[in-house]
Amino acid sequence: MSFLSAEEKGLVNGLWGKVNVDEVGGEALGRLLVVYPWTQRFFQSFGDLSSADAIMSNSKVKAHGKKVLNSFSDGLKNIDDLKGAFAKLSELHCDKLHVDPENFRLLGNVLVCVLAHHFGHEFNPQVQAAFQKVVAGVASALAHRYH
Amino acid sequence: MLSAQERAHVAQVWDLIAGHEAAFGAELLLRLFTVYPSTKIYFKHLGVCPDEAQLLTHGQRVLQAVGVAVQHTDHLRAALSPLADLHAQVLRVDPANFPLLIQCFHVMLASHLQGEFTVQMQAAWDKFLTEVAMVLTEKYR
Repeated sequence: MSFLSAEEKGLVNGLWGKVNVDEVGGEALGRLLVVYPWTQRFFQSFGDLSSADAIMSNSKVKAHGKKVLNSFSDGLKNIDDLKGAFAKLSELHCDKLHVDPENFRLLGNVLVCVLAHHFGHEFNPQVQAAFQKVVAGVASALAHRYH
Repeated sequence: MLSAQERAHVAQVWDLIAGHEAAFGAELLLRLFTVYPSTKIYFKHLGVCPDEAQLLTHGQRVLQAVGVAVQHTDHLRAALSPLADLHAQVLRVDPANFPLLIQCFHVMLASHLQGEFTVQMQAAWDKFLTEVAMVLTEKYR
């Protein structure tokens, strides 16, 4: 059974093809750190995170955001087996990075906001629904190997 | 507790919404029901497939209440007390649903306002709505 319906896959792939993954990644991570400041706990070596402006222009935040979103984008290619696609990353986030999986849900939600920002009215309720499903699936896959 | 800066951002956000409570409220509910269908159980009185008129009416009511909260950010409990009673005694919306509504609010504002809805405004608005949700569910037990 498919994770997304054919229609949802169409909506997701249609929009994702127009996304500047590198830029959106940095923006999403930056927004996470500003809107939910406790998430900064994982990025203490990133330098100046003292204000919204500092965070949004921080080069380490941008670089890391780019890395995260490229992983997400790769995962999207295996939308019907997200748990398989993110198995190794899940182990990494549990065993080495010690990230509370709640953060995956927060970042997913922020990513959806950033997409809404970029795409405006095109990001209608149906498109939002499809993407919320995707980010929930990715968050769940990333939490799957926690022990 | 909102700082003065955060209150200013909340006021900025509200300025972009005021006058359009019905339209924004309707879209908020439509996004909520589309993205999180389980939330519809709290709106059975709107029918299985609420029409535009119902969404506009109910949406306006919700956003007007948000507007009241915006005017009283330093005494939310007093200002929202009747609504808190309603939610505790009658509506009993599970507290887990408020973050879903808040997410849809951000997405709606981002899609309509794009660049005008800055990251600072989103941070303040999230904090504010989370406080409102806390006040509305505080009397549950």
